[in-house]
Amino acid sequence: MATSTLFSTDLLRRYDRPGPRYTSYPTAPQFSADFGADQLREAAQASNGDPIPRRLSLYVHVPFCLSPCFYCGCNRIITRDLSRSDAYLARLYREIDLTAPLFDRDREVIQLHFGGGTPNFLTPAQLREVVETLRKHFNFSDSPNRDISIELDPRFISPEEIAELAAIGFNRASLGVQDFDPVVQQAVNRIQSVEQTVAVIEACRANGFHSVNVDLIYGLPKQNPEGFARTLDTVIKVRPDRIAVYSYAHLPEMFKAQRQIEAEDLPTPETKLGLLQLAIEKLTDAGYLYIGMDHFALPDDELAQAQARGGLHRNFMGYTTHADSDLIGLGVSAISHIGDSFSQNPRDIISWQGALDAGHLPVFRGMRLSDDDQLRADLIQHLMCQGEVPIAALERRYEIDFDSYFADALQRLEPLAEDGLVKLEPGRITVTAQGRLLLRNIAMCFDRYLDQPATVATPRFSRAI
Amino acid sequence: MSVPTFPHADPRIIADDGDALRFCSTCAFSEACLSRGMDKSALSDLHVLVDHAGPLHAGEHIFREGDRFEAIAAVRAGTVKTYVVDRDGNEHVLGFHLPGEVIGLNAIDGEQYPCNAVALDTVMLCKFSFPKISVLAARLPGLQKQLFRLLSRDIGRAALLAGDWTADQRLAAFLVALSRRLAERGFSPSRFQLTMARTDIANYLRLAPETVSRVLRRFQEDGVLKVERREVELLGREQLEALAAPVLRQ
Repeated sequence: MATSTLFSTDLLRRYDRPGPRYTSYPTAPQFSADFGADQLREAAQASNGDPIPRRLSLYVHVPFCLSPCFYCGCNRIITRDLSRSDAYLARLYREIDLTAPLFDRDREVIQLHFGGGTPNFLTPAQLREVVETLRKHFNFSDSPNRDISIELDPRFISPEEIAELAAIGFNRASLGVQDFDPVVQQAVNRIQSVEQTVAVIEACRANGFHSVNVDLIYGLPKQNPEGFARTLDTVIKVRPDRIAVYSYAHLPEMFKAQRQIEAEDLPTPETKLGLLQLAIEKLTDAGYLYIGMDHFALPDDELAQAQARGGLHRNFMGYTTHADSDLIGLGVSAISHIGDSFSQNPRDIISWQGALDAGHLPVFRGMRLSDDDQLRADLIQHLMCQGEVPIAALERRYEIDFDSYFADALQRLEPLAEDGLVKLEPGRITVTAQGRLLLRNIAMCFDRYLDQPATVATPRFSRAI
Repeated sequence: MSVPTFPHADPRIIADDGDALRFCSTCAFSEACLSRGMDKSALSDLHVLVDHAGPLHAGEHIFREGDRFEAIAAVRAGTVKTYVVDRDGNEHVLGFHLPGEVIGLNAIDGEQYPCNAVALDTVMLCKFSFPKISVLAARLPGLQKQLFRLLSRDIGRAALLAGDWTADQRLAAFLVALSRRLAERGFSPSRFQLTMARTDIANYLRLAPETVSRVLRRFQEDGVLKVERREVELLGREQLEALAAPVLRQ
């Protein structure tokens, strides 16, 4: 299928605009400094008060990286000084000490995830210490679907170390690959061989990991369909359970590392969407299911099964099967989602350490969701995960009349419906196959905090020609 | 919109604060007065002034144990928890009071409130000076009867949990009773929010908080009810009624 059959260039240009990835709604820019440690404590207490309190998900942020990848927009610190992790972990344990008592002991931890940065900047021994500390402070579930997962940079971990991780209890891994094309690897300063990557994946499997994910990125400098096709073929041959294909967003004014990337090396929007379509075709032909946004999974992977039974969820860690949990973020810049609140730790390590050294919960901003926020968050969740808006359920749950409550949003959706991204029927809004590639644009129609329309305004008559 | 789900009041009720002539629609006493032909102007002739108080926010106290008893109060919106604290500092929940219900009745025989009353969410109240309402009750047999009814209901409720009931029976009785009380006030009997925290429910039912959750989770697995955060939906009413029957003495 060629690009043109799915999208016209004109359509593409109109929808090619920045928008939130909706790992949360409202998105982080709405968080405010009015929300601090006291509010977090209140939110935790209220969440303990639910008749059946939610289970807990833990996220640990490890900000360090040994070498800078130029595309990166994450919160990270480049260092070769391995001793920095000791000082970091000392603060992390202090944060765990302060945070764990806020949650009732019978609330089970169903998921622990390490993200970064590069979590394997920490040695297996250090990771073991973190997991053991958390196990001491929280009540880890014995359920077989309790996950301990980690993002790995395959360049800095050996198969022997994977065996150590498995012994600690890690059972899911996500590997950064981005692209195997040597020209692209050079342009983004991440030289990573197929061999070392495959060795890590095989070690994960040999050590009983339930699932291995591979991250790819499209839209990188010097990327082209031929090279990316080879990367996809290579990845498909290894058959990871999940594959994420992220879009590269070039924002050099926001992310310093990206200033190393020459703008003229970037693919055009047409080529970029072509790369995504290439990925979709190749992956679905190879038997992967398109989960939504940027995620694919094999049909027997839990993510695909969760989507089939409506149990899929989206949070700061991407798609997850652990829908009904409160998320506790630990470490610099980490975000928590507890009850009807979002909160975030300071994004700079000095402030994060400072708060902990003073014995405070290191929250620097957050928000409490209003009824309207919760309704829209719920709606956007369903869009992102199930590809539809459950109108009747929302009307019942939030006691609204959908059509009048969302009159503005429905009006904003009209042009998207005309472009074939959504189908509007009485009592039903469904995302089309094309629309699934532009989920953000659809979700943006329901975002109260965006005042722009979801497409760059085009005079209606221009399309009639 | 159909039947409101507690604590979301019907906007018509919220807006209805009554006026010089009409009672609020949530008034605990209006029926008793009106049935004797006493409207609000007749009451004001008797100097029975009714004070609207609130909104009080979650955690604010309406009165504390030992405060001088002056008024009983009817809940107009929200939930009030009454409790005492024992010598060891442990809290004992006495009850939860919903719109249309009265607090402070257990102070009638003394000079002081014998317990604490705290708002669990946004609470609106009507306060009645007790000496004045007793004068009025003497003239209005219906009102007196209503007062006695509320009083005995208060005592009855406290006695319910004294029996040797299982956790399942206690929780079923709690939910069925709550559902009936809400239905009486025009709220949905099958879907409502639990405005009280899990620890409060547990304390009131003399159960451990984990037990409350465990039983609810089991009820949920059996399809008897559905819990989503604070919201409860009763699906298997008959099963719950059957479990609750011995506790509620039916």
